[in-house]
Amino acid sequence: MSLLEELKDLGVNIDEAVERFMGNQSLYEKMLKKFPDMLNKASINPDFDCNDYTEVIEKTHAVKGAAGNLSLTPIYEAYTKIVDLLRNGQPEQAQIILKEIQPVQAQIIACIEKYM
Amino acid sequence: MDKKKTILIVDDIEINRAVLAEIFKDNYDIIEACNGAEAIEIINGDINISAVLLDLIMPEINGLGVLEEMNKNGKIKRIPVFLITTADSKEMLLEGYDLGAVDVIQKPFMARFLKCRINNVIELYGHRNELEQIVAEQIKRLNYINQSMIETLATVIEFRDCESGEHVKRISSLTHILMSEVSRLYPEYYLPQNEIDKVSASAVLHDVGKISIPDSVLNKPGRLTEEEFEMMKQHTVKGCEILQNIPDIMDKGIYNYSYDICRHHHERWDGKGYPDGLSGDDISIWAQVVSVVDVYDALTSERVYKKAFSHDKALNMIYHNECGVFNPKILKAFENIADRIAKKH
Repeated sequence: MSLLEELKDLGVNIDEAVERFMGNQSLYEKMLKKFPDMLNKASINPDFDCNDYTEVIEKTHAVKGAAGNLSLTPIYEAYTKIVDLLRNGQPEQAQIILKEIQPVQAQIIACIEKYM
Repeated sequence: MDKKKTILIVDDIEINRAVLAEIFKDNYDIIEACNGAEAIEIINGDINISAVLLDLIMPEINGLGVLEEMNKNGKIKRIPVFLITTADSKEMLLEGYDLGAVDVIQKPFMARFLKCRINNVIELYGHRNELEQIVAEQIKRLNYINQSMIETLATVIEFRDCESGEHVKRISSLTHILMSEVSRLYPEYYLPQNEIDKVSASAVLHDVGKISIPDSVLNKPGRLTEEEFEMMKQHTVKGCEILQNIPDIMDKGIYNYSYDICRHHHERWDGKGYPDGLSGDDISIWAQVVSVVDVYDALTSERVYKKAFSHDKALNMIYHNECGVFNPKILKAFENIADRIAKKH
């Protein structure tokens, strides 16, 4: 199994992403390998302070954008919900989704890191 | 082959920059900036940027900050800016549009659509910038032709007066120097630079009415009889009549100055001039300035009825009211610039 095949099994929309990268599969793989580090820099403690979450919005927003461009669909969809909830002033609900996505996220990251 | 145009990609996330760069790299030169400050530096630099793809949310200077800077230096009118967004910050998007962004790019990007949209806008802006440049060049050329026509007209008239085109050029340049000095010294007579330019362009037409004066009077070597002098005075009024018939060869501003200067450049501060016997500041400051310049130039030039006086002699005669009384403030300004003028003559 290759990286892309494994990611496909984890729900990543490989075809869409490769098209976005103008068919340049190797560039797509290169950018996928930058995602763990990016996510690490934007990492959020799921038990964040529900009174002051401005920074959380910025970080989740960044993850959403990058995950979207890499078509890491499960991560992208979860973070879209998280950002919307945070902007709507519902941090507790956002926390729930953030906790739910953690294991999926960890699985995808582990898969990418295996090929680095 | 045409040189590739350049796109500036501004995003703090490398992955996003890489996707955009990949989409456009075949058709454009790509420059990347990872924050607002870097973007501003590039936009204000020497490279000609054809479009900016701008992330809104970035640390330090964000996308709106970049747009604000582009508004300050006017680049927003020339360079199309696309906002990169995930559509979850509507307020910021609206503010971005208000600041002159042309369109929004949604993340995740749709490569093919994005390519078409951005190509179209870049092409459109390119045409527009090109057209604006052509129009600006045409306006410059038109102004040049207008000014040449005015100067040609003035020269033709001065030629009858046995003068050369040099007189016309001198009047224009002396008016510019004196008007600038008067404007600098006295706030009540202040004129902005572009108005001073118009006044000096207009000054050359001050004697246009002389075309209606018979040769026997205009070029009479001796003193004019009272009747002849009355005829000569008419050149001010006749000049205005001529200008009224050709208003279209000059812009409105120059027309108004020319008309006023033509009619009033023989008025004097004490009210003893002609044709209307105006006095003091009832005479416009530009007509007053041209009066002094015209007298100085007449004194220092040779005419059929007189030899040329020296610069010093001419100044002396002007200061002692031998050619009529002038506004003391203008004489003071004239004194300041006398040395510069002497060098020109």
